[in-house]
Amino acid sequence: MTARLVIAVPAKGRLQENAEAFFARAGLGLVKPRGARDYRGTVAGLDDIEVAYLSAAEIAGQLAQGAVHLGITGEDLVREMIPHADDKVVLLEGLGFGFANVVVAVPQAWIDVRNMADLDDVATAFRLKRDRRMRVATKYINLTRGFFAKHGVIDYRIVESSGATEGAPAAGTAELIVDITTTGTTLAANGLKVIEDGTILRSQANLVAARGAEWTEAARATARLVFDRIVAHSRARAFREVRTRFKGLDDKLLAATRERFGVVAPYGGPTSSGMMTLHCPPAHVHALASFLREHGAETVVVAELDYVFARDNPLYDKLAAGI
Amino acid sequence: MSEAKDLRATALVASYERAGYAPAAPAILQPAEPFLDLSGEDIRRRMYLITDSGTGEELCLRPDLTIPVARDYLASPAAGQPAKFCYLGPVFRQRGDGPAEFLQAGIESFGRADTAAADAETLALAIEATAHYGLAAPAIRMGDVALFSALIAALDLAPAWKRRLAKDFNRKSSLAHDLDRLVLGSPNGKPEYQGVLAALANSDPRAARALVTDLLSIAGITAVGGRSVGEIADRFLEQAELGAGSALPGATRAVIERFLAVNGDPNAALLALRALADEAQLALAPALDLFESRAGLLAKRGIDLKRIHFSTAFGRGLDYYTGMVFELHDPGGKVQGELVAGGRYDGLFARLGAVQPVPAVGFAAWIDGLVGLGGRK
Repeated sequence: MTARLVIAVPAKGRLQENAEAFFARAGLGLVKPRGARDYRGTVAGLDDIEVAYLSAAEIAGQLAQGAVHLGITGEDLVREMIPHADDKVVLLEGLGFGFANVVVAVPQAWIDVRNMADLDDVATAFRLKRDRRMRVATKYINLTRGFFAKHGVIDYRIVESSGATEGAPAAGTAELIVDITTTGTTLAANGLKVIEDGTILRSQANLVAARGAEWTEAARATARLVFDRIVAHSRARAFREVRTRFKGLDDKLLAATRERFGVVAPYGGPTSSGMMTLHCPPAHVHALASFLREHGAETVVVAELDYVFARDNPLYDKLAAGI
Repeated sequence: MSEAKDLRATALVASYERAGYAPAAPAILQPAEPFLDLSGEDIRRRMYLITDSGTGEELCLRPDLTIPVARDYLASPAAGQPAKFCYLGPVFRQRGDGPAEFLQAGIESFGRADTAAADAETLALAIEATAHYGLAAPAIRMGDVALFSALIAALDLAPAWKRRLAKDFNRKSSLAHDLDRLVLGSPNGKPEYQGVLAALANSDPRAARALVTDLLSIAGITAVGGRSVGEIADRFLEQAELGAGSALPGATRAVIERFLAVNGDPNAALLALRALADEAQLALAPALDLFESRAGLLAKRGIDLKRIHFSTAFGRGLDYYTGMVFELHDPGGKVQGELVAGGRYDGLFARLGAVQPVPAVGFAAWIDGLVGLGGRK
């Protein structure tokens, strides 16, 4: 491992686009100095970072081994591919893309199967009748085994499937499946339905840290720098800046805005002239503006924020606590 | 540890040979399917699996020897005939604590119709294994899966509940949960077609089945995932019945719990079970008669029945056992876990694809455990 902080980023598709956009929004421009087909990259202006472009599944593996410091990959892959995942990695933050639910789906014709208890019973009846176990097609072997064990289902066999899993019941290679779904359309098109309590995991892309990576002082410092930007951006997105100035704006009124609109005052109370900068959640901006005018404000200016840097960094604290 | 390094193991198996058990040496590399099918997916993470790049077949390093010996026998001309085998060899399991390759010795007895005698012989030879390593009086834990099956069969319960209880016998926490649910009825939500189900519950079963079957075919549903439309209809109606009278009378639960509380030496347990069967008017006689004759044969072989701890609730966590199950332990507690374990698995051969049922009983001894007793070399 180099002394640099290694960040693994998905190498293709929507996941790559979303991951790059996520870093770009935080002011971290990923660049590939040797051209678009290169699998190694850097971050513009930050020499201490190496970006490794890998498949999402490889990223989970590399995180487990500690071969990279940080990575972006789906929680489904982390939970499936890393035994005792929480001992090996820290899921730092859900990134709001790459949503997918890992679900248990059975043929729609199974009108007698509504929940896992039904499935358990059907599985046992199936074995007693046929002297073989019901087959579950999936690529999520570990998630399936854990979930079925939790529900006491034992009479099943896993058939590994790497693609077009939802076609397995119709093709006769399995009785039911465990697969990811976003809208359920593909499942329905294949005559399958999701079992009521059969959602194994609600997954999304995560920023993940490897506990086993070589976290030198330098690597930590670089990570802090990266997280500063990420947090600064997410804080900025969580608020609008509201500025106003009027005589009646005192501590009591300020307390009222905090309570009613979740406002924070990054620079403390009003200046002697009544000048005030507030940060307000976007949803409450209009109500806050009305409130302030009712109490005497002539003008209320609201603006979007690009970054809000602060001394504390909860994301880094989470990392530091985990490694 | 290799075979050569434990001469006592070789001598032990030689004694089984003299007792009429033919040495078996199945292949180390085995198809994974039968193990996963018989032991369940849970064994997968303990197995060493590889995929054959030519055929795509999943292979494994054998995690036990019972299934390989049974498969070889089933493929041989002797299949279906009485046959006895003994073995000594390495098995492979991923274990957190201890080497992944370790030696097992054991015997298998296939095709014998004299169940009680075969059971007694098997347990007697198992005790010889610990005696061979200096432990003449191991702690003997015994159960009998057939007794629980007989109880379930004798109770007035919906088929769905019988299946469930039989399956959960090996998982006691689930069993307690099942009993709670049985008494309370299903608490969490009636099916949305409760009304339809209730209506069907009181109709002629054949007409109801035809109706549900028709509905499914009208809907044009073809993907039934290996279950027949009739099967789905049957279970749908079974649910209707359950919905109509879903709660188990407290008295029935009390019988199950009283049954599962029976333990002690086989003679004492037998008395308690006969009394329970009389009181609750349960037809357990065939299973209890077999139990009694087995106990008699064990005593005849010089095994002190007082030293056997029998419990109706004792199972080995594997659902292919069908009758007697047992484990021999170190009473001193120096070696943790079972030294020898086995039982009867009459369902094994059907699961391996045999057309005719073949009775089977056997055990496996953990050589590293026996060596760990530290007896005279």
